[in-house]
Amino acid sequence: MIAEIILAVIIIYIVSIILLAIRAIKGPTIGDQVLAIDVITYITVILFVLISIYMKAALLIVIAIPLALWIYALDIYIAKYLEKGDLGA
Amino acid sequence: MLSIEAVLRGVGAALLCLGAFAGLVSAIGFYRFKNFYLRLHAATVGTIWGCVFPLIGASLISVTMDELGEAKWFAAGASIVTAVIVFLLAPAGSHALARAVHKARVARVQPCISDALDPNLCG
Repeated sequence: MIAEIILAVIIIYIVSIILLAIRAIKGPTIGDQVLAIDVITYITVILFVLISIYMKAALLIVIAIPLALWIYALDIYIAKYLEKGDLGA
Repeated sequence: MLSIEAVLRGVGAALLCLGAFAGLVSAIGFYRFKNFYLRLHAATVGTIWGCVFPLIGASLISVTMDELGEAKWFAAGASIVTAVIVFLLAPAGSHALARAVHKARVARVQPCISDALDPNLCG
């Protein structure tokens, strides 16, 4: 019962990732692209957790925390690049 | 008699279904909205409703999964920690990005009634 629910949720998340990837490729400005990649990565975090529960491999969850931290770093770097013109030190 | 495992699994599955619905709504919003400032709404739906609440639900489910062995406590704890990290960092990143895009004049503000920070960007 719970395995079927998790599988259905994984499929719905993959469909949303495809829709967001269209916007990440097309996006008219760099802000749209970074925002779409943001949401794709946060959805990938929950997807890794669900796959690790579905496959019964708990060590996959280790990937989730660095992924969430990395996308925050991308946000801050892009924001600094847009405001100052370079990444600075 | 309702066992604690059944309650945890039910609440977790409900949170997962809520998260999947919110993720789909966020993706459709990203595809359909017109400009950057409108897409920020869709991004917020996708991060908080579509990531934080399903992570808490996955933690509740993994507590009841005896197939994982002793690692089920590891999975539950890591999920909760990830949920707290995303809950703190996602709004901060979105705000920084919105401020930078407005200061760099990348996207115009549409629809606009008044923009006190930079009137040239209005409309």
